[in-house]
Amino acid sequence: MTITKDKAGAFAFLVLALAYGLNIGDIPMLPGDEDEPFNAKTMPIFLAWFMGGVSFLMLVTRSTNENGSDPVVAAFTGLQWGKTAQLLGLMIFYGFTITFLGFIPATILFILGGLWILEERRLKVLLLTSIPLTVIFWYILSQLLGIYLTHGELFFMLGGTQ
Amino acid sequence: MMEGILQGLYTATTPINLLMVFVGCFAGTFIGMLPGLGPISAIALMIPITYGFDPSTGMILMAGVYYGAIFGGSTSAILINAPGVAGTVATAFDGYPLAKQGHAGKALALAAYSSFAGGTIAAIFLLIAAPALASVSLSFQSADYFALMVMGLTAVSAFAGKGNFLKAILMTGLGLMLSTVGTDQSAGIQRFTFGQLDLIDGISFLLLAMATFALSEALMGVLRPDAVNAEAEKATKGDLGSMKLTRAEVMHVAPVVARSSVLGFFIGVLPGAGATIASFLAYGMERNFASAKEKLKFGKGSLRGLAAPETANNAACSGSFVPLLTLGIPGSGTTAVMLGALISYGVQPGPRLFVEQPAVFWSVIISMYVGNVILLILNLPLIPYIARLLALPKQILTPLILFFSLIGVYLVSFNTYDIYMMVIVAAIVLAIRLIDFPLAPMLLGFILGGMLEDNLRRALAISDGEFSFLWERPITTVILLITVVLLISPLWTVFKDRRATKFADGEG
Repeated sequence: MTITKDKAGAFAFLVLALAYGLNIGDIPMLPGDEDEPFNAKTMPIFLAWFMGGVSFLMLVTRSTNENGSDPVVAAFTGLQWGKTAQLLGLMIFYGFTITFLGFIPATILFILGGLWILEERRLKVLLLTSIPLTVIFWYILSQLLGIYLTHGELFFMLGGTQ
Repeated sequence: MMEGILQGLYTATTPINLLMVFVGCFAGTFIGMLPGLGPISAIALMIPITYGFDPSTGMILMAGVYYGAIFGGSTSAILINAPGVAGTVATAFDGYPLAKQGHAGKALALAAYSSFAGGTIAAIFLLIAAPALASVSLSFQSADYFALMVMGLTAVSAFAGKGNFLKAILMTGLGLMLSTVGTDQSAGIQRFTFGQLDLIDGISFLLLAMATFALSEALMGVLRPDAVNAEAEKATKGDLGSMKLTRAEVMHVAPVVARSSVLGFFIGVLPGAGATIASFLAYGMERNFASAKEKLKFGKGSLRGLAAPETANNAACSGSFVPLLTLGIPGSGTTAVMLGALISYGVQPGPRLFVEQPAVFWSVIISMYVGNVILLILNLPLIPYIARLLALPKQILTPLILFFSLIGVYLVSFNTYDIYMMVIVAAIVLAIRLIDFPLAPMLLGFILGGMLEDNLRRALAISDGEFSFLWERPITTVILLITVVLLISPLWTVFKDRRATKFADGEG
């Protein structure tokens, strides 16, 4: 049996509705709130039932969208997953480095990394895209707009001061 | 009203605001031209920049970006048959054949004139319609707002296209679910925070908008590379041809522009419809109006076929501001992003905006007219140069878009948690895009979720917990009846199609 894109999506939403619904029990209530016509749980309860109902309806009905009838596996194959995953990883790495290395080194590394992942190998392009852009952007933010950009933990670890 | 218009004119024409319209139009044209990046991404990228601005200035910049992005989308649609925006798909039908015949300059000039005319005529309509509707909506109560929001969310799904109705409903629901994350506004109770301090204030609108549109668009270009760049290089290095239109050609398209402006504006006012539907309807309408001989030219380089969608999509952009400015309800993904931006400036759009912040209200409307003039002045002489930007290599552009998206969100909170959240959201959105679920309804659901819950809570409190508020006031009832019609119409179409197929099978 081939699972279509629409059915896979509907199934994912059904699971989400179930998970969302199960977590409603964790919402605390103020004393007497349960007797109110509308409390913190009302909207989530409605949404869980509504989403569950619509996704179930989509699971059991025939798709009227031509694209939606394509197999879900085909939609996820033949794509550049490697490069995309590397870019996602690079963004997480940027999150780590921006506080540790500081704005300028972290951003230069991020742009260099992005260019490298996308197979840019010309040294001139790598350097001229990453360094001037980062420095200009840093100058606009910190010197012209007065936005404080951290030097990074490393700077202070090496004895730097504000 | 006159006083308001003068105040708006004064605000919109201050040097800083004129500069912002100029910058907005230019940046919007550039971003909108890049295949895959539409007005939502363009505006989302601008939000962090506008945080320190006066609300009027911020909105003026974003309105300029909106117009520019639509026009930029037309440029790539005409030159390389790659519409940067869904609203310019119909532009490519006749614009690209014209470019292939060596009339790229003429096609681009006609697109610029049509956009200008459509935007300007619609801005005049807006000038009349917005205050009138704002005055009426001053009498609206919580029940009416609740009904309006339900209508807005339903309309987005109803207009999502054949076979996409349930998908759009699910995506709207997902947006509503995401809006419940964080502290409940009235009771102060935490919901779905899983003990994470960073989720107490809920998911940031900017984070969601950036990850959903800007980040995922850029990553999608890496995940599914296309052959656009080679063609872009070829098209932009060639001669664009003359940009002059003859008197006969102007006379030939003038009625088209007039008709499409009116149609585009009214379609734009409808929640959920927007520029895409307006441009297709205008194209279809002109095709029907054309003579048998002219009809044959459609799809092969018809000037009328190019002018109609171009006029309508710009007119629809102006129209979409009517529900945003007067009711505080966005009718499209793009205006939803603008609503989020307005709220972040501390401005609550809606009928009170017209009374309490006339400078914002009127300056946005006036700036639309100014924006159209600037777009024309900017684009006509600069088109050949702007077009060269189309050939900018993707491997350079993508890391920069990723950087600007991440830093835009980080600079608001200075919290690296937001960067990690963006990565997670972008990865999920990529999967959603691959299975062809629409994204704009999610953003609309997220933006309206809090307001919807708040108005429902108030309406129930006023009516002592009874649902009779749904039919007690005529306005509420009428809005809900329209909602039911919107809800039923796609289902009715499906039912009719299935019956027709069954009948045909039986005959066969």
